[in-house]
Amino acid sequence: MASEPRKVVVHLRATGDAPILKQAKFKIDGSDKFVKVIDFLRRQLHRDTLFVYVNSAFSPNPEELITDLYNNFGIDGKLVVNYACSMAWG
Amino acid sequence: MTTLSNQGKIDISCWDGTISQHEFHTAASAFAERWNKFNAALPQCSWVARPKSPYLSSTSKESCGGGDDKEGEEELSCSRFQEDDFIDGATMLQNHDDASHHYDFHVVYNASYRVPVLYFRAYCSDGRTLVLDDVEKSIPAISAKLLMLSKWTFITQEDHPYLNCPWYTLHPCGTSEWMKMLFSYEPAVDHGGVAVAKYLVSWFSVAGQVFGLKIPFEMLSSIGN
Repeated sequence: MASEPRKVVVHLRATGDAPILKQAKFKIDGSDKFVKVIDFLRRQLHRDTLFVYVNSAFSPNPEELITDLYNNFGIDGKLVVNYACSMAWG
Repeated sequence: MTTLSNQGKIDISCWDGTISQHEFHTAASAFAERWNKFNAALPQCSWVARPKSPYLSSTSKESCGGGDDKEGEEELSCSRFQEDDFIDGATMLQNHDDASHHYDFHVVYNASYRVPVLYFRAYCSDGRTLVLDDVEKSIPAISAKLLMLSKWTFITQEDHPYLNCPWYTLHPCGTSEWMKMLFSYEPAVDHGGVAVAKYLVSWFSVAGQVFGLKIPFEMLSSIGN
């Protein structure tokens, strides 16, 4: 096993009325925590509150490791992270 | 409207994000069973069904010692009910210690919003209840408003529906919306729907995040679709 952390491909997907990012795919170290993705989204979208979730109806804790999330929720070699900014009050 | 097939699945193509009381029972049993199985390091959950005239169960939540709680025994004999019985709601009990602060969490079904609601109270080792200001200071996510908290829900003080004293809750008005979003990309939609048993696990992955509580991945993968 290489001592280098494996890079994980993350694909950010806009849901609801969230704006679509120009750059929605990038690589991140597997040893990074999910909070890094959340912070990236916050900066790109200029929003503090985001709803972030993965396939399988699950919103990961920011402390989770990217590599763990990829191992559990990755499909076709990438981790898809959905995000939403707002929602209509029912 | 929720379509509940015999297999206990939700057809999410026409789903509003809510569940019926019966589905809550199914989901709560599944959640408690999996929590106790995969979260051995944390205090156990006990699932208590309340009949129309509420009573305090014998496995009530006053133990705040953490790991040696014997609340893993689920009162499934109480939760068995006939279709035409009316049950006010159901509560899941859990204790969680955070340094010198103790938290009790209850998950109660709200019939108006048709969603689960997280009730919590916090107190010190000497039993003194923490006010919301103290809670906000001790929970970084709440004080920093880093999470979706302020946008999709907010903390209010409500009378606990069975204990008749004020607890804090995460207000349920936005729950159905984000539950609907959570399930919208569930791959199982192609396989006859999403298991009702998954509802509370998914719900808690969001609600528990406010308090830094994690859902072990095994809780999700153990629910077949």
